Amino acid sequence: MKKMVVGIVFACLVLLLAACGNQTSEEGGEIFNYGAQKNTDAKIMGQIVTMMMEDQTIHEVEMTEDLPASPQVMSAIDQEELDFATLYSGEVYNNHFDEEQVEYSTDGEKTIEQAQELFGETYDIKWYDSIGFRNQYSIAISNNLAKEKNIEMMSDLEPYAGNLILGTDNSWIERANDGYDAYQETYGYSFSEANGMDVALMYEGINSGELDAVTAYTVDPQILEYDLQLLEDDMQFFPPYDASIVARNDVIDAYPEVSEVLDSTVGMVSTEEMMELMHEVDIKDRGTKEVAKEFLQEKGLLE
Amino acid sequence: MELVIDYIEFWQDKADSIVTYTWEHLLISFTIIFLSIVFTIPLAIWMTKMKNEKMKSLIFNIANIFQTIPTIALLAIMIPFFGIGFVPAVVALFLYALLPLLRNTYAGIESIDQSMVEAAKGMGFSTFGRLIKIELPSAIPYIMSGIRVTTVYIISWTTLAALIGAGGLGDLILAGIGYNDKHMIFTGTILAIVIALLIDLAFGKFEKRYSNV
Repeated sequence: MKKMVVGIVFACLVLLLAACGNQTSEEGGEIFNYGAQKNTDAKIMGQIVTMMMEDQTIHEVEMTEDLPASPQVMSAIDQEELDFATLYSGEVYNNHFDEEQVEYSTDGEKTIEQAQELFGETYDIKWYDSIGFRNQYSIAISNNLAKEKNIEMMSDLEPYAGNLILGTDNSWIERANDGYDAYQETYGYSFSEANGMDVALMYEGINSGELDAVTAYTVDPQILEYDLQLLEDDMQFFPPYDASIVARNDVIDAYPEVSEVLDSTVGMVSTEEMMELMHEVDIKDRGTKEVAKEFLQEKGLLE
Repeated sequence: MELVIDYIEFWQDKADSIVTYTWEHLLISFTIIFLSIVFTIPLAIWMTKMKNEKMKSLIFNIANIFQTIPTIALLAIMIPFFGIGFVPAVVALFLYALLPLLRNTYAGIESIDQSMVEAAKGMGFSTFGRLIKIELPSAIPYIMSGIRVTTVYIISWTTLAALIGAGGLGDLILAGIGYNDKHMIFTGTILAIVIALLIDLAFGKFEKRYSNV
């Protein structure tokens, strides 16, 4: 009796594991995995890819959300846990390659070319051309402060920075090429404090007046919502982070129709459009799926 | 071997900031440990003397509710009241530490041999005298083990202080996650573990010396 129970349990486990191994979509195609970081733009792109894939092919896409940051997405692609993701060209300067391999530049073309080549070879992925929006670091201050002191460019902050508290994410202070140390060298001033924190709390902090300046990301809807002023990077310090879809080579080699769908994301969403979509999600609390679906329908890309 | 050399180089590069992160971590966690001991242990003792069962369960329930609030939400609520940095981090983590310490201390004092307490009553001890001479000394091992367990929790929870700009080893770990630096992640994690183990060891020694069991 006991043996039988053990046998049944074991058989169930085997079946369960087998079910995980080779899933097929309802129409008999594959089920691919898309991974999104914490930022809303990557989640919206995931929904767009998922809906278009299901609409135009027999395949399905499953999404994994809230991976901590791009390096973890990279690792998961390397482990073949993920097939697609949204990544940013500036990631190529984020400690993935030695200084001999990668040439630091704030030029958009150069950056995406290097990302396509270096990541493409190292991870055996295709890095598609830009989706059309850019989500890079920038410095933002409250509009009141900007108007009062007539600050438009990052250089203009110099006389005041010593009295301003900066909020940033946890990694910016430690970044080598485009981090706080290099920023101080380029612009020649330091803030009175620089605190690394969670990005959501960073915006809370500047909204409640606890912070005077933040390293905002250029597509974040909080910039408009909290009446912040993005400063112009007059010294060309911050590298461009152009968003692209990436996919594992062996997937798109085996399924050309998948590559066709991913190709249609090139030039699909402009920075302004992405800001609007993110506003719907982050400020109006709507679901990413609903917002992405509306966008595709408006563009005539989905029934 | 190359890994080891790389790692030694990393330490040479980052020694200053690693020390800063570690110091911040110690400062935050020790403040929380100190505050929670000073606040919670008298509260727990007072609760064991309480006749009002409703009041008792109310206090436990409040401590329990703090445990269930998601960290980010709690920190976001704190910003208008306490700003960012050290203070809100300490307040939030103090609220998290309430329940384990309260529960352990309360249970410890409750579990004293009642016949001993009765005997003390018979010998004419006052309530306060009983507490000092009989109840607390025999409850110390329980109270200490509560403090030890909570301290280890607090050391690891303090990594969350990095979410609100208070620094600490969590900052180093999150920086490593964002900046693709495994050395940072590893170092932050290992140091937090080492601190927790050392403190546990120190408390263990202290307990051996001062407990009369």
